[in-house]
Amino acid sequence: MRHFNYKVLIMTAYLIPALPGNLYALQLHSGSEGIITHQIGHLFFLFSMVVLMFMISGKGLAIHKGWRLIQVSAFFFILWNGCAIAAHFLDNQIYAVSVERLTNGYAKIRTQNNSGFLGWIYYGLKLDHLLCVPAMFLMYKGLSCLVAEQKAEKGQESP
Amino acid sequence: MIAPYLPMVVIDIIGSFAMVVLSLLCCYKARILRETDQDNALFLYLVWISTGFMIFGVSRSVGHILRQFLILISQTDTWQMIAAFSGSVNTVSFMLVSLITLFFNQSWKINEKILTSRKKLEAAHGQLLSLNQNLEQKVMERTEMLTSSEHKARRIFEYSLDTILVTDAHFKIQEINNAGITLTGYTKEQMLAQNMGLMNFIAHASDWAHILTQLNTNEYVLNEECDILKSDDMEIRVMITGGVDYGAFGCAKTFHFIIKDINEKKQMEQQIAQADKLAALGELSAGVAHEINNPLGIILGYTQLMLKEESEFEEDLKTIEKHVKNCKDVVSNLLSFSRKGSGKMEHVNIHNMLDGVVNFLKSHSDFRKVQIQLRLWKKESLWVEGNEQELSQVVLNLMINACHAIKDTPDGFIELVTQKKNAHMLIHIRDNGTGIAKQHIPRIFDPFFTTKPVGQGTGLGLSVGYGIIRHHQGKIMAANRKSRGAQFTIRLPLVNTNSNEE
Repeated sequence: MRHFNYKVLIMTAYLIPALPGNLYALQLHSGSEGIITHQIGHLFFLFSMVVLMFMISGKGLAIHKGWRLIQVSAFFFILWNGCAIAAHFLDNQIYAVSVERLTNGYAKIRTQNNSGFLGWIYYGLKLDHLLCVPAMFLMYKGLSCLVAEQKAEKGQESP
Repeated sequence: MIAPYLPMVVIDIIGSFAMVVLSLLCCYKARILRETDQDNALFLYLVWISTGFMIFGVSRSVGHILRQFLILISQTDTWQMIAAFSGSVNTVSFMLVSLITLFFNQSWKINEKILTSRKKLEAAHGQLLSLNQNLEQKVMERTEMLTSSEHKARRIFEYSLDTILVTDAHFKIQEINNAGITLTGYTKEQMLAQNMGLMNFIAHASDWAHILTQLNTNEYVLNEECDILKSDDMEIRVMITGGVDYGAFGCAKTFHFIIKDINEKKQMEQQIAQADKLAALGELSAGVAHEINNPLGIILGYTQLMLKEESEFEEDLKTIEKHVKNCKDVVSNLLSFSRKGSGKMEHVNIHNMLDGVVNFLKSHSDFRKVQIQLRLWKKESLWVEGNEQELSQVVLNLMINACHAIKDTPDGFIELVTQKKNAHMLIHIRDNGTGIAKQHIPRIFDPFFTTKPVGQGTGLGLSVGYGIIRHHQGKIMAANRKSRGAQFTIRLPLVNTNSNEE
């Protein structure tokens, strides 16, 4: 117990400098670093999903239904990443779009040039769960199929 | 532009919950998958990636739900403080999932190696299994062959009618079969307990020395004849064949011997030789007797004619007559031996004949101190075809000889035993006298052979008896008894009656 407390104290000490605020370190970081890092993360995620898709095809795993579903899941994650990158670009990077919540259950979407098209595009991009939830569901189905195949191979009935 | 805000919020919240649930389910499925094959690296990879998705999904969803909640309760500033942390955690979770995903190729390669190794292992296992099965089959076949061979060898050893003997390097007995136990008269336990060796059974030291020399020189002995001393001190003639066995697999050196009992064969050969000799002597005696009988008849005739007239040589003539008569007796005996004599053959009751002989001898002065035991075959009367007078003469002669043999024995006895054996009857005349010297046994039925002092016996008694018994299609045998004294056995064919068969 004493050992655990000691660890918690050290962790807390490390996290204190990470608290948001104006900290003047040796190098000055601009405020856009966070969103760029986040965007790079999305890009990396997208890239890895592309790699996964091609790997599944290249290794001949696509003959199994489970792996095919995982492949489709990766495709949905690619779409989701693309969607997320675009949304972050519009609202956090170039600030071309901003959303203001109205009291009547509506929201006002302001675009730079008052473009209605961009506004609706942004609205659609904000509904990104319509891509990532199916992606995760396909991943689950793919794994379920692989379990069933494996159990069938071993002569067992899947539960 | 104005757009409905509620769908954005609802989809965000429901979607976040769905992401949490689905990512946890993915983790659960991936773990089940891994449990189905612990050695599959691809399944391990799926566990990792599912775990990454779970961290990503949970962290992101918590952030989104928290944001909606804080905005709903008008705590936008609080959210602004947390948003940076939530975004950072979210970024880290992307990175984690991406990094794990890029490990696919390595996982694939590891899995390929594992599968290849497994296949090789399975192939090797299959080969080993096959080899093991072959080996088991071969071991089984060899074991069966070995068992069969051992069984055959054991049967030969146990059921051989010849003695089979295994000794150690110092000729101490290790194994002996049943025939050997019967031959020696000792039990196997006795032999082993007394640490007996082959040398203990060889009756004469010179024989053993000869066998030992043969073994040392040639490492084998072949058909060596010698006498074996039984547990009851009886000697048996045997033929020994044996050799050394250096054994296999580091076994100690042993000797194996086969001992064949040739006692009966030897006795038979001796009897045949004796019979041939006596037959030749009979022929010779018959010829000589015939040639002498005629001149003796003439001499006796003329002597008796001369005695009818008074003469100054009367005493001399009587002496001539007496000696000529003696000579005629000898000639007569010789003719009896050679079976040239004639006698009327009829059915003779052996028991009556023996009673007559015993009664006659009991009144004789020499037999007064002798105990005569008559043990007759009680089951039935024994009849033979023969001349009662001649047979009585033979028994009488044997009894007199026995009486002479027990002359100096304090408790001397003569035993007369009759016995039926198949289609023959046996008369045993036993005594506890001095017995017959071993060297005399082959010559005992020879004409004129006697061990009595000169003038006390003609040496024709047994040879005449031999001739008579042979004339009756029988046999007469002499042997020393185990204890003391001698035994003569007369074997005669029974008259063919219904009671002949036992």
